[in-house]
Amino acid sequence: MRTLRGVAASPGTAIGTAYVYRPDVYDVPTGEATDPDKGIAQLAAALDAVAADLDDAAASATGAARDILDAQAAIARDPALRAAAEPAIRHRAQPARAILDAGERFARELEATGNDYLAARAPDVRHLCDLAARALAGAPPRTPPHAIAPCILIADDLTPADTIGLDPTLVRGIATSGGTRTSHTSVIARGLGIPAVVGVRGLLDSVEHGATVGIDSRIGQIVIDPSTEIVEQLTASGEAERVRHERLRAASGAGPTTTADGCRIEVAANVRGVEELRAALAEGAEAVGLLRTELLYIDRDRPPTQAEQEALLRGLHELLGRDRRLLVRTFDIGADKQVPFLPARPERNPELGVRGIRLARVHPDLLDTQLRAVAGTSSLGPTAVMAPMVATLEEVRWFVSRCRDAGIPSTVELGVMVEVPAMALMAAELAPLVDFVSIGTNDLTQYLCAADRRHAGLSALHDAFNPAVLRAIDLVCRGAGDTCWVGVCGEAASDPAWALLAIGLGVSELSMQGVAIPEVRAAIRAITREHCRDAARDAVLASDADTVRAIAQRLIKEQQ
Amino acid sequence: MRTLTAEREVEVADELGLHARPAAEFAKAAARFSADVRVAKGEREVDATSVLLVLTLDVRQGDVVRLRASGPEATAAVEELARLVGSP
Repeated sequence: MRTLRGVAASPGTAIGTAYVYRPDVYDVPTGEATDPDKGIAQLAAALDAVAADLDDAAASATGAARDILDAQAAIARDPALRAAAEPAIRHRAQPARAILDAGERFARELEATGNDYLAARAPDVRHLCDLAARALAGAPPRTPPHAIAPCILIADDLTPADTIGLDPTLVRGIATSGGTRTSHTSVIARGLGIPAVVGVRGLLDSVEHGATVGIDSRIGQIVIDPSTEIVEQLTASGEAERVRHERLRAASGAGPTTTADGCRIEVAANVRGVEELRAALAEGAEAVGLLRTELLYIDRDRPPTQAEQEALLRGLHELLGRDRRLLVRTFDIGADKQVPFLPARPERNPELGVRGIRLARVHPDLLDTQLRAVAGTSSLGPTAVMAPMVATLEEVRWFVSRCRDAGIPSTVELGVMVEVPAMALMAAELAPLVDFVSIGTNDLTQYLCAADRRHAGLSALHDAFNPAVLRAIDLVCRGAGDTCWVGVCGEAASDPAWALLAIGLGVSELSMQGVAIPEVRAAIRAITREHCRDAARDAVLASDADTVRAIAQRLIKEQQ
Repeated sequence: MRTLTAEREVEVADELGLHARPAAEFAKAAARFSADVRVAKGEREVDATSVLLVLTLDVRQGDVVRLRASGPEATAAVEELARLVGSP
């Protein structure tokens, strides 16, 4: 038995047989090649074929995907890449080996520039060299993981293409050596309700295909070849989890959420579209607390029209009915979410660059179209709209006046996200300008601790239980007072223990992924607001995240 | 026949610099001429037909690059590439 530690990315426990997904493993021919001239010709033909395939794929793609495929095709035709592989082939290396090595040298050079845009091309170079090497080696093309029996998926990291076909009834758990709590694999795993641990160093060196692997994401641990005792424990707790969630879910459906002493807390869902909302309502969502509108913009050649935006909002209002609020966040493009029709200048620090409302100020027409769509559908049900990445009161005033000019009626609540620490410090001045604020804990933590949320080596700094994060939220709640309501729409809201602390600080709305709703609602119903307040008071005075976590977990335990 | 050479400096106007699509278009254009075309930023000079090498120059809007070509179509190559990246 061996245990490895990583970052808990999606809650739950699981046990099963390892399916080790190694897309990069195939037999690269070794030994001396006999005919260098033939090898060079074969390599040229393989790269030409890869380029042609990429051209075909680009022709049927749109938006960002098309640009990536075009760039890969251009690199496949690059004479310098071919030239870099030639000397090795002249020295009788196998062409497949030579192109992989040449590609790796270029990829490292790109990564070493310190320019995010260039570094992001490194996987493109590796990918197309891999495609060419596969063809030269007579290996099958890269295919995404395909589970045919219940398993624990073990991988280096998963790309969006890898996760499209994941079947949660077969993939019982996921462990990856790369990634962070906020990276793609984690988000997908939480969305599918698959327990996951990411950032597990040395994972692929330790797990053999077919080995028995246990995942306990409560403590961010994976166990290889577990003892009978651990197998029984994980099996039992996995089963208990499922039963418990079903029970909570059945109980969750009825009525609003109030604390044991009758204080109303709204438990809402983060959604991107109608399907996610339908699922969240089944879990007991009382509203939409965050509509991410970026899907309308990504992979598009031109911005979405007002009619397209209204169609999305109308579909959501229809499901929500006349009593449940739809909170729309205006487009949060920039940083990791780029769109093709707004070519961004490469930025040295995209997370600190032109994103959210900063981009809206550069392209106010895009914002106006979105705001007019909100205005046009606001009679269908309670509506709220907020802007992301606000850093100054001047930006808040600009956003509010833009909303009014777009014809948004006064029945619609206007607000902003608090993710930039500057806004938390200015909360008292911010509150009179808006109807509400919603705290984005992922970015707030990232900016408070100056730690890139996608950086696997910094995941310990990305902890919402950090007392500094709670102090920032405390400042926001104190500043808001009775003037505006305070919600939370970050990942942290889905952790029941953390949610209770937030309620203790004065948060009255929590928005999260649908699957987390039943457990959070049950925790709120079992406790008094006063009890949460006492714990929150201790938490903001604590000196480290572990102490805060212990205080929060005590709150949960006491009610059981 | 004597080898023709041509050389000129140009300020890059595209707001993307020589990244992404502009880099690919630049490399493609350079490959169309019967000339050996090189592009330099500062001390570093690379083969202009290589999108990867052009990318690694990390050319941004406002940077000045030096174009140098030799071969039968050297002059045409330099003029065309200068037109492509320079101000309209």
